[in-house]
Amino acid sequence: MLDTFEILTTSGVVLWSRTYASVSPTVVNNFITDVFIEEKSSVAGAKNGASAAENPPYKHDQHTLRWTFEKELGIIFVAVYRSLLHISWIDKLVDNIRALFVGLYRDELTKPNTTIVECLTFDQYFDQQLRELEQAGGKSDARAFKNEVLSEDTGDEPPSPPNLTRSQQAQRGASPGSSPNVSRPGTPSTNHLLVAKAGPVAKMSRRARKMQNTNSAPASSSDEGPARKAKAKPVKRGRKWDADGLADEDDGVQLDYSVPTLTSDSEVEAGARPGAVEEVDASTWGSQAKGKFVLKDLGDEVHSILADADAKKSAATKTDAPSGLVGSGLSAIGGLFRNVVGGKVLTKQDLEKAMKGMEEHLLKKNVAREAAVRLCEGVEKELVGVKTGSFESINARIQKAMEVSLTKMLTPTSSLDLLREIDAITSPSATSLRKARPYVMSIVGVNGVGKSTNLSKICFFLLQNKYKVLIAAGDTFRSGAVEQLAVHVRNLKELTAREGGQVELYQKGYGKDAATVAKDAVAYAAQEGFDVVLIDTAGRRHNDQRLMSSLEKFAKFAQPDKILMVGEALVGTDSVAQARNFNAAFGSGRSLDGFIISKCDTVGDMVGTLVSIVHATNVPVLFVGVGQHYSDLRNFSVKWAVEKLLSSA
Amino acid sequence: MSTLQTIKDLLEASLTPSPTVIILGLAFCLVAPILLHFLYSTATPYTTLPSVLLLGPPGAGKTALTTLLERGSSSDTLDGPVAKTHTSQVPSSIELSVNSDDPSTSYKTNLDNESATAKKFLLVDTPGHPKLRASSLMRLNAAEPTIKSSLVSDGGAKSKIKAVVFMVDAAALADGDALPSTAEYLYDVLLTLQKRFHSRGGSRAPASMPVLVAANKLDLFTALPAALVKSNLEAELGRIRAARSKGLLDSGIGQDDVDAGEEGDWLGGDGSEKFSFAQMMEFDVDVDVIGGSVIGDGPGAEKWWKWIGERV
Ligand SMILES: Nc1nc2c(ncn2[C@@H]2O[C@H](COP(=O)(O)OP(=O)(O)OP(=O)(O)O)[C@@H](O)[C@H]2O)c(=O)[nH]1
Ligand SMILES: [Mg+2]
Repeated sequence: MLDTFEILTTSGVVLWSRTYASVSPTVVNNFITDVFIEEKSSVAGAKNGASAAENPPYKHDQHTLRWTFEKELGIIFVAVYRSLLHISWIDKLVDNIRALFVGLYRDELTKPNTTIVECLTFDQYFDQQLRELEQAGGKSDARAFKNEVLSEDTGDEPPSPPNLTRSQQAQRGASPGSSPNVSRPGTPSTNHLLVAKAGPVAKMSRRARKMQNTNSAPASSSDEGPARKAKAKPVKRGRKWDADGLADEDDGVQLDYSVPTLTSDSEVEAGARPGAVEEVDASTWGSQAKGKFVLKDLGDEVHSILADADAKKSAATKTDAPSGLVGSGLSAIGGLFRNVVGGKVLTKQDLEKAMKGMEEHLLKKNVAREAAVRLCEGVEKELVGVKTGSFESINARIQKAMEVSLTKMLTPTSSLDLLREIDAITSPSATSLRKARPYVMSIVGVNGVGKSTNLSKICFFLLQNKYKVLIAAGDTFRSGAVEQLAVHVRNLKELTAREGGQVELYQKGYGKDAATVAKDAVAYAAQEGFDVVLIDTAGRRHNDQRLMSSLEKFAKFAQPDKILMVGEALVGTDSVAQARNFNAAFGSGRSLDGFIISKCDTVGDMVGTLVSIVHATNVPVLFVGVGQHYSDLRNFSVKWAVEKLLSSA
Repeated sequence: MSTLQTIKDLLEASLTPSPTVIILGLAFCLVAPILLHFLYSTATPYTTLPSVLLLGPPGAGKTALTTLLERGSSSDTLDGPVAKTHTSQVPSSIELSVNSDDPSTSYKTNLDNESATAKKFLLVDTPGHPKLRASSLMRLNAAEPTIKSSLVSDGGAKSKIKAVVFMVDAAALADGDALPSTAEYLYDVLLTLQKRFHSRGGSRAPASMPVLVAANKLDLFTALPAALVKSNLEAELGRIRAARSKGLLDSGIGQDDVDAGEEGDWLGGDGSEKFSFAQMMEFDVDVDVIGGSVIGDGPGAEKWWKWIGERV
């Protein structure tokens, strides 16, 4: 049922894996790219150390991935299975494996300058967990999970089917009627047998179970005693048999003996939970007939590790209280020193105030609150537990991390060399089987952001590079739009005639369907040998349902190679909502290819709009408009933007 | 009795506000943190190993090579010499050692067992995803020998980059789409090196930076041979150079300093029509193209290893 389980580092090395059915590496690669590198908005905030249950499952090509991320060590745990299956215990498995793996190999994992982690022995731990959860998962109700949690605390395995039948026999034979177990409502054993799933491991271990069954079934329970005693836990063994005939309360005492590793935390927990005693009872019942002692020890080890991890987790959430006046005073002074000289391990508290400052700073730069908050959260998560460098203040460290975050966010995933793209379409290489055709580019946006102006700027740039350009007047709606374009075309002709630029206007007046006009323009351009078609569109408010929906038809008819949206850099526009709506307007198969941010010269350092819209859409910024002239169009430079955003002037 | 008296006196003196006490106290307050700091910072290992930077587009096999070289020399190979790999998100570095008497010794020989003098270095694997390239390039930019910048991990280790290995997937280059993106990255790498040469000024002889273009996956029959990889890359780099010179200016560059913008972006020797790696010699950037493979029964990785061994 499980296809594969992998434990890999953020540096890309698979430390340990188990494969039941081969899965193409692209599945996990895509998962990493989408979730961790590009941080697609659907899986926002995924990069913290949340448990597998909290992380949204990632779906790709018939596979579902459940995963968790150990931030401190940079390790990803991921389980891959067919999306058709529903595996209730899968996130539990992922979490447990994480706790186990980290518990077992923490020292190895923190070694510098190596990618090797000796973890061949992990196989058996994994098998143990898988078997255990599969069996527990056999119970269809939520109780399976509760039982599982409890057995973790007590350090015992939940019963396996044959063992249970065994224990029922024992129950009937040894202490008929008087056993407290009889009063237990709905013994899980029957359910258990019925619903137990046969996973790969379950199948594998069937023979083992059968063997164990035949071995132990004929032997009377008391015969088994010495054997076990010799092996592991005589105390527990002895007490258990007494307890069967005794009152319930004794079980509580027994807990202490049977589980030496039990922490006070989990003890309290177990005691406090209603029904705990019964559950515990059931699990010991199961274990007493266990034939495989090695396995049993492994189970104990596993559970003690898991319990440890649990205890640590709950301890971490609890012990934030200051340890006395003197202690806190000293640590405060130490912290101050560290602030100055660096080498301080950052905690959430240290960061909180500084992060607030960073957030304010970004907001001042006109970054939308939503984007600023998420950026800061990302940086904060990244920095908790990090040690500052020598003579590096917290603020400097945050600044550095923010620079990296911003760069990562604004850098496009693929290269954006417009001229080369055009060349590839208009004069394809001999080896590719494509036919030469004009490159189609269209420009969308709300009213008055400068669509036509920026279109003309692009046209000017293309003309300078000796392309033959057709401008299509797709704004058949607003009166004067066509005339405005005609003026631009006339200017451009004049400006570039000397250098041999060729530009024409394609227009069909007003009232026509814009999509049809665009389509005709493309056909005309192909016929007349134009290199590039630039299609202007009518400005529309992003919340105008009717006009927005016509964009989908437009995209289908004109088949643009690039759809660019013009957005304003100005303060106070609802650029984020605009960008989102436009990005979604072209139907499921199409989205925006890039943004042109106009009027960047008017905002100085407050270029936050850039960040807001890229954050909202994951669509890169291609160009920025920086003035009134045809030549005032610039390639977007990530470095420039990041510098402006972080400058403190 | 007298000792008790002296202690008492001392205590009294230290508690009376006299200039000496105040100055001493102040001095202690100022010096203690600094002393503490040095105590701490020297406690952490301070490596000055040279390093080799491993760059290249995603899926080229950088991480695979890293694991191969690391596992190849350790006697206890786990499950095969190459670990399974996935897309990298963060750089990682591994410590390797070459036989400094004879660099051509195979990476498979365990130098611990031999009498040869081993020279240690770090191999730094970087993620190839476009969004994560900026920091790799930044490392390259900061790799000036004069500045000991913190290059390898955040652990405070400092290292000097001795060579760059740019890995490409020769099989992917065969079908066209990968070529532009690969060349784009290589262009940025070479341009960074070139700018680094310029920024250093002519006062000192600058250290050269050898670059190895490692054409990987030659075990696949679809892969291009090294010579073709070289010529294809050169042609594409030339195309990029031409396109960039015609392209729009970057934001942040005003119309006035057009010259500065253009100067900086022209890769290789000025004026030449076609680009070739040999043009990079002018900037002390030696480019070699060598084929090999990390897995499968291709030419293997020995030639790369020898190349690296000769440079560190
Ligand atoms: N056939 C063949 N496949 C190889 C060779 N070297 C690497 N691969 C495969 O190429 C894939 C990608 O290798 P990685 O090392 O993860 O790639 P990378 O360069 O680290 O990629 P990023 O981390 O994303 O930058 C893996 O599936 C390798 O098995 C080779 O020599 N021949
Ligand atoms: Mg990698």
